[in-house]
Amino acid sequence: MEVRIIAQPGVLGAQLSVMSTLLIFVAIPVAVIVVVAALVHSGSERNRSNRRYRPGRPYDFAPIWFLAAPEQVTATGGEAAQPAERPAIEAGIIEDSAGQRVLPGPVGGASDRW
Amino acid sequence: MTAGDPRSQELTALDEPGGDTISAEPEQTTTAAGREALDGPFNTRQLLRLDEALRVADQQTGLTFSVYIGDLDEPVRDSAEQLHKRISHPETAVLVAVSPNQRVLEIVTGHEARKRISDRDAKLAALSMAASFAGGDLAGGVLSGLDQLATHAGNH
Repeated sequence: MEVRIIAQPGVLGAQLSVMSTLLIFVAIPVAVIVVVAALVHSGSERNRSNRRYRPGRPYDFAPIWFLAAPEQVTATGGEAAQPAERPAIEAGIIEDSAGQRVLPGPVGGASDRW
Repeated sequence: MTAGDPRSQELTALDEPGGDTISAEPEQTTTAAGREALDGPFNTRQLLRLDEALRVADQQTGLTFSVYIGDLDEPVRDSAEQLHKRISHPETAVLVAVSPNQRVLEIVTGHEARKRISDRDAKLAALSMAASFAGGDLAGGVLSGLDQLATHAGNH
C-alpha cells in the first residue's frame, strides 16, 4: 500500500485559514466551558447547599419525627413492663430550688424562641 | 442443625437469595421513612449523628428521647404536648419539638422524666439549642440539646 506524505514543513503555521482559527481558538474552548458548566449545574439535588435551614428563610420540608426505636414506641404498644418498674410511692410536689414557678400539669419541660 | 429453606428466612434486606447485594443496591436497606428523612434538611452524616445521639441517650438514661422537627399548631405548647402523648409510655418520654418556621422550640418531659430532668435543666438545654438554631445550625443544636438533657437525666 502506497503511503503519501501530504504535509509539508511550515504549511500548518503559515496557511491556517480564518475558519480553522475560529474553530481551534474559539469553538473548542467554548465547548469545553459549556461542558464543565453543564456538569456543575447538573449536580445532585441532594447536595444543594440551600437545603440547610437558615434563620429567616422559609423552611418547607415535611415534618419529621426522630425516635431511637420507632417500632417500640407505637401508640398501640401496650406492654406493661415499664409501668411495673415505677416506684409505688409518687414523688411530692416538684419545685425549683429557687422557688420558681413550675409549669402546671403532669408534664414539664421548657420553651424558647430564637 | 440445618438452615432450612433460605427463602423463608428474613435475615437480610435482599428480596431473594442470589439477588443483588446490599452494597450494590444500598437503597434496599432504606425504609420509606429513611428515604423521607433523606429528603429533609439534614445530610446523611447529620442523620447518622442524630441517630447515634438518640440511641445513646435512650440507653444511658432509660428514658425515651424523640425529636420532632416541623410546624406546630397554635397554641404551640399544647400542640407539642399532644405529640408527646402519642409516644407510648409518655411518662418516661422526652420530646424535643422544633418549629423552624415559627422559630419556636418546646421541650416536653413526661411525669417520670420530669423527676430526672427538672424544668430548669430543660430550660438550660433549650437556651443552648435556641442559640445554635439562631446561627442556622439545626443539627448541631439538636445534638447539643439531646446531650445536655441526657447528661442531666443521668444514668438509670
